[in-house]
Amino acid sequence: MLADLIQNTLDGLSIGAAYALLALGFTLIFGVLRRANLSYGAAIMFGCYCATWTHLNFGAGLLLLAAITVAGTVLAGAYVERLCFAPHRGGSMIAAMVASFALWMQFEELVTLVMPTHLYAFPALYEGAPLAFGPYTLRVDALVMFGAAIAACALLWGTLYRTRFGLAVRAVTEQPAAASLAGINLPWVYVRVFALASAIGGVAGYLVVASHGQITPMLGMWSTLKGLLAMMLGGLGSLPGAVVGGLALGLLEAHSQWFLGPQLRDLIAYLLLFVLLAARVPWMHTRSAS
Amino acid sequence: MSLLKIQDVVTAYGKIEALKGVSLEVAPGSITCLLGPNGAGKTTLMMTVAGILKPRKGGISFAGEEIAGRAPHDIVARGVALVPENRLVFPAMTVLENLLAGAYQRGDKKAVAEDIDRMYARFPRLRERSAQHAGTLSGGEQQMLAVARALMSRPRLLLMDEPSLGLAPLVVEEIFRIIAELHRDGVSIFFVEQNAHMALKVAQHFFLIEQGRISFSGTPGALAEDEVIRRAYLGSAQQ
Repeated sequence: MLADLIQNTLDGLSIGAAYALLALGFTLIFGVLRRANLSYGAAIMFGCYCATWTHLNFGAGLLLLAAITVAGTVLAGAYVERLCFAPHRGGSMIAAMVASFALWMQFEELVTLVMPTHLYAFPALYEGAPLAFGPYTLRVDALVMFGAAIAACALLWGTLYRTRFGLAVRAVTEQPAAASLAGINLPWVYVRVFALASAIGGVAGYLVVASHGQITPMLGMWSTLKGLLAMMLGGLGSLPGAVVGGLALGLLEAHSQWFLGPQLRDLIAYLLLFVLLAARVPWMHTRSAS
Repeated sequence: MSLLKIQDVVTAYGKIEALKGVSLEVAPGSITCLLGPNGAGKTTLMMTVAGILKPRKGGISFAGEEIAGRAPHDIVARGVALVPENRLVFPAMTVLENLLAGAYQRGDKKAVAEDIDRMYARFPRLRERSAQHAGTLSGGEQQMLAVARALMSRPRLLLMDEPSLGLAPLVVEEIFRIIAELHRDGVSIFFVEQNAHMALKVAQHFFLIEQGRISFSGTPGALAEDEVIRRAYLGSAQQ
């Protein structure tokens, strides 16, 4: 029993680290642009399909595939930014959100047009046996996922708190008007934040697909849902909250799957979100005031 | 030649014109005050000069260059800084980071560090609270920080939108003392104020804005002599 609990915790943390990355990308865009980007997951899926296509046609090493995933996601993100967000600056929140939903459909159609099979294999991060520590096992790819996610978080942290660009991002997040009065070029910050968030999403997407060893067009929906859920659990717009929310979601899923079975796993996460929203827990409403 | 020249500026929110053709000039090296009732367009005018709002018509020139319609960061680069109404400090950033954000466009790290020291000398309270989040400061301290942040861009013209708003009388006196000091150091100042008594002590020229139009322009003496203005802005007419 205890061994199972510990095993579930380890599994939950490793998938939770990927959720945390997805939530960080969402949070960056939401915090800085005050807009929800619904095509975030679809852009990640596009990036992952770029890598899958390259792998099928030319074969490529793991690092190259990861780089292609990130590059493809950033490219798709740039397309979304130009089409949905740049024209609506200072304008309607809904217009940008609905437009980004339309691009989600575009990405799905494009991907199924070029690669019509529902499921493609994706090269696994590691194919050997899991590491055994007494009664516990730890999948090497899960460990890599956790490590890479933590490294990405640390890199993001350094960027936000130790660089001039990071100072601008935080200033724009807190007080957009005051940031522009301080001489910060807002559109310049928006475009770069979008690229950064897309790159983080690309890393998360690659890690998830490589650890599953397969890819389907559902990845877009999956990434958007997990990212949104983790972001909301941690409190809208809070970067540390996104990490906590992601890890919490991973743990919750791993444990509820073990106790209640896979059918109820997702239900539990939504139920928790519903309860927390209904109870108006304080950390979820930090942004609503400003 | 005037430092700031505003000509027939119209700024609108949708169909509602908040500024209906405002013209005024600010002389270099002066302290100029804009008085007016709530909703007259004072904040709109400040935001238009700073580039947050785009004028629908009219021209704004600063030091001979047209700045109307330019982006705020571009206007900051030309030497105009606005201390916005309600201060708008970055609450979850430290006092030091707030100051660094104010110097965002400057690449000269050494000179920025020197300016930060200068700000700390002028506002000792900010030095004590350097590592504290700006959101934890008192209203007066936040106002000092907002002024210091604006000065970090080394402006030639400092715009201030109601610097005394919501502050205790002692703090208000300190703010006006600082305005006078900054002026002595060579910064031109154009500020919005409801507290006409305090403004009379420092400003050299007054404009009155009512319903989106300038209705008075003159010296403090002329302002104090105007019976109607006195009754409306200086309270008791018997003084």
